[in-house]
This record gives sequence, structure tokens and C-alpha cells, in this order.
Amino acid sequence: MRSFIKFVALAGVLALALFIAVIAGDDGPWYFAWLVGTTMIVLIAAAGAVLMETQVGPGRGDGEY
Amino acid sequence: MSVVDLSRLQFALTALYHFLFVPLTLGLSVMLASMETVYVITGKPIYKEMVLFWGKLFGINFALGVATGLTMEFEFGTNWSMYSHFVGDVFGTPLAIEGLMAFFMESTFVGLMFFGWDRLSRPAHLAVTYLVALGSNLSALWILIANGFMQDPVGAKFDPVTMRMQFTSIYDLIFSPDAQSKFVHTSIAGFVCAAMLVMGVSAYYLLGRRHREFAARSFRMAALFGVISSLAVITLGDALGRADYLLQSTKIAAIEGLWHTSKPPYEPWKIVALPNDRTQKDLFSIGIPYVLTPLITHTLTQPIPGILELEQKAKPRVAKGIAAVLALKDYATTGDEAALAAFRKNEKDMGYGLLAQRYAPGQDLAKITPAELPGIVERTARATTPNVFVEFWAFRVMMALGFAFLAVFAFGAYYSLRNRLERHPMVMRLAMWAIPLPVLASEFGWIVAENGRQPWTVFGWLPTFQSVSTHSVGYMIFSLVGFVLLYSSFIAAELYLMFRVARIGPGGPAPRPAGAGLAGAGLAGAPGLAEKIWQ
Repeated sequence: MRSFIKFVALAGVLALALFIAVIAGDDGPWYFAWLVGTTMIVLIAAAGAVLMETQVGPGRGDGEY
Repeated sequence: MSVVDLSRLQFALTALYHFLFVPLTLGLSVMLASMETVYVITGKPIYKEMVLFWGKLFGINFALGVATGLTMEFEFGTNWSMYSHFVGDVFGTPLAIEGLMAFFMESTFVGLMFFGWDRLSRPAHLAVTYLVALGSNLSALWILIANGFMQDPVGAKFDPVTMRMQFTSIYDLIFSPDAQSKFVHTSIAGFVCAAMLVMGVSAYYLLGRRHREFAARSFRMAALFGVISSLAVITLGDALGRADYLLQSTKIAAIEGLWHTSKPPYEPWKIVALPNDRTQKDLFSIGIPYVLTPLITHTLTQPIPGILELEQKAKPRVAKGIAAVLALKDYATTGDEAALAAFRKNEKDMGYGLLAQRYAPGQDLAKITPAELPGIVERTARATTPNVFVEFWAFRVMMALGFAFLAVFAFGAYYSLRNRLERHPMVMRLAMWAIPLPVLASEFGWIVAENGRQPWTVFGWLPTFQSVSTHSVGYMIFSLVGFVLLYSSFIAAELYLMFRVARIGPGGPAPRPAGAGLAGAGLAGAPGLAEKIWQ
């Protein structure tokens, strides 16, 4: 049941995302660019931090940043 | 100085003061969300420490941004009452939505973000931080939709009965090309400001070899955040430029110091020039050929109208506008349907007629004699151009700074990704000294947008000189001095608190020995005031 609710919730998020994409894609291309771009900026910055965790630490790297 | 000049100066100063705080809030809220995402993914406490520390700087900035922003909404009513009457129905709507939806949302979740760490699960707290980021950017969105209406008045129509603009479509207002491109450009410019602050303060710690683990991670995230944001802000600035080319020809001509219509594709893009507004010529200019046409029009063939040609095109509109205003006056007095029909014929040029009132004898269009008319049309057409020198240089300073930030972020990201940052202190020093520059660039961007809108408050419809309230000069000077003193004290407080928090660094001040004072001692073994603040 829990998995089903999760599935329905995520499907709802997907439907909303598609709805926003269709509306924004047609009439608000720059709003759509902001949504996609901001998500990308956040994820790339986060990926950089996660990458750092693989580069430093005991037995890895030379302690230099 | 006249009441109009003083009202403009007061609004410009309060907006520029307010805009010192806004970009950082927009960007820091998104950066905090990014940092907390890593905390939730990796579970490493250092990322929570990062959210807490940079969150303090966000909090200081947020509080002062709110304090300086609240007065501005009232300023529309107190100093710009004619403007508020004319477009209040349209302009007030996005402002009200901003307050009721975005600002309330942001303020509510800010409380949860600061005080909810022990009360919410990690994913729930992360969702709250994202909602703060969304709220602050939605706040900017509604303000810029309102501003978009001033630049490109769509979604409304003038009603000759009520003598004000009334809504025809909120959808057109929200999706106006100017509002869209301005929002994305301004919001992402805020991301650049925040990234530079985080990168610069982190560089300060790394140079002093303090909080290295904390600073290296913050620097890495900020550099990557900044490099993509800088690329985006440049791209989206181009989008805004194209919207201005299509909607506000006088602004684009002033930005480029273009006195005569361009000759595609050769027309050079002026790198430096000394435009003279009085003679309407450049004292000198240096440009790069073949750049201007594709830069502005995204083609190699379309010409860009020059200021002198735009002024010539404005002349028939002024003559029609005078006829429209006279017919409107007649209709308002008599209710005559023929007068209404005459007004409808030239309605879209009404703003030019209102602008001509400035040069009419006693500011009354009915008193213009046939002999005076050509001179008044000439002067009014010339007044449709904004100050070219200010526009030209404000744009170039903003743009040069934008490209400089991209270089600083790119070097920072490159050395950070290779874990060789500490071998390049020059990059860290550059990052540190560049902290205030993105905020400065944002201020110049605001000058480009609003100076370029002149002589209108609502582009093509309502002249600035018609928009002000009927205050005395003394009242305006008194309130201007009050604002300057109050807002300067806000900035002093912001700088003091930001420097203080940044100097102390993450983790708070070192514990003070017992008996070293109230802040260090605490009561009956409880944490002292300083520790409580830092917890």
C-alpha cells in the first residue's frame, strides 16, 4: 500500500511537471528555462560536493584542496 | 530640483538600497537548498554545518531586505499617486499576490527552516528549505511581472470613463516577454551574487588555513553554482536584450549609443564611446564591426532603429496624442460620443499627448497655438529618448563585470575540481575581492532597465512627470534625507553583522572561560548566550 501511494504521488508530480512544461513551453519559454536551469545549477553544485567526497578523506588524495 | 526629480531620486535610491539585499537572498536560498540536498544524500554533518552557517548570512540579508522593501510599496501611494491611480488596478494585482502568496510562504517557511532542525525529519526539512528558495524567487517573479507591465503594458486597456488602465488578461501580464526575460535574468543574477559571496568568504578561510574542510566544500559548490549561473545570466541577458529590441526600441538604441539606424551587417558594436546627449553625437567611439546586428537582432540583415530616426517616428504620434488628450478632456467634460470617437481614433498615442503637456503653455494642450505646435512636437519627440550616456555606460559596466565573474568562477571551479586550489592563492584573492562586484553589477542592471524606460513610468502610456503626487519640495527633501539616513544605517548594520559572522566562521566563537562575562558564563552551567546563538 505504501509503495502504491508513493507511486501515485510520484505520478502526480510527473503529471504536474508535464503540465507545467506544456504551458511554460508554449507561452513561457523563459520561465521553463528558469525551472530547468535552476534544477541543473542545484544538481551540478551538489554533484561537485559529492565528487569531493570521493576525492578526499582517509587513504584518498593528499590532504590538499 | 523639482518634485518630479526628487520623487525619482527618492524611488531610485530606495530601490537601489533594497536591491543591495535582494539578489543575495534570491541566490543564497537556492544555494542553501543545494547544500542541504548533499547533506540529505550523504548524511555528512559538515553539509548541515554549511547550511547553518550560510543560513545565518541569508537570515541577516533576508531581514534587511524585508525592512527596506516594505516601504517601497507604500511609496507608490505616497509619492506616485497619479501613477497608482492610473495603473493601480493592474499593477497592484501582482504586488498583492507577491505579498499574500510568495512573501507569506517564504516568511512562514523561513521560520521552519531556522527552527525546525530538531522537529522535522531530514527530507521534510529539505522540502522546507526548497520552499523558502521557491518563495523568495516567486516573490521576485511577481515584482518583476509588475515591473514588466511598466516596460511593456500588456494585459490591460485604458478606460476613458474611469480614466485608468483596467485588466483585460492576467495571462498576458504573467507571460509578457519582458516579465519573463527580466525575471530569469534577475533571479539568476542573484545566484551569481550568492555564489560569489560563498566562494569569496570560503577563499578567505582557505587563505588563512582556517575551517579548511568546510571552506573547500563551500568553495567547490559555489564555484560550480557560479560558473553555470554566470553562463545563464549572460544568455538570459541576451534574451532580455532581444525582448527590448522588439518592445523598447529607444532603450536598445540608448544602450548601444546608436544615433542613426544601423547598417547591417557591418554596424560595429561600440566597446567604448562618449555619447553626448545634447549634441546627439559621440565625441569618440571604438567598436568591433559586424557584431551589433547579430548580437541584437539575431540576424545578419535586420536594421536597428537609431535614436534620431526614432524621434522622427515619434513626431506624428505626438501630434495624434495631443488630439487624443484634447478629445478625452472634451469627453470627460461633456460626455459627447463624438469626442469619444475622436479619442478612440488616436487612443494608442495618448501617452505622447500626455508627454507633450510638459511643453505646452501652462501645461495645457488647449493653449497651444498653431505656430507653437511644431516646436512642441519637436521637443516632445526629443524627450522620448532616455539618457544615452547613463544607459550606454551602465550597460557596459554590468556586462564587463558579468564576463569577469565567469572567468573567476571558471578558474575557481577548475582548480577546485582538481584539488589544486590552495596552490593558486591569486584565484582565491580574486574571489575574495570580487564579493561586492556582482551586487554592483545588479545595481547597474537595474539602472539600465529603469533609466532605459524613461521618460515613461508605463512605457508609451504614462509619462514620469505626470505620475507623481502633489507634494512640496520641502516635504520631498525631508523624506529623502530620512530615507537616506535610515537605509544607510541598515546597510551599516548589514555589513557589520555579515563581517562579524564571516570573521568568526562556522562553529561560532571559541568558548570563553567562566566568569569572562555574561555572554560566556551562562547560568547554573547552562550554555552562555554566545553558545545559544551559535547552536
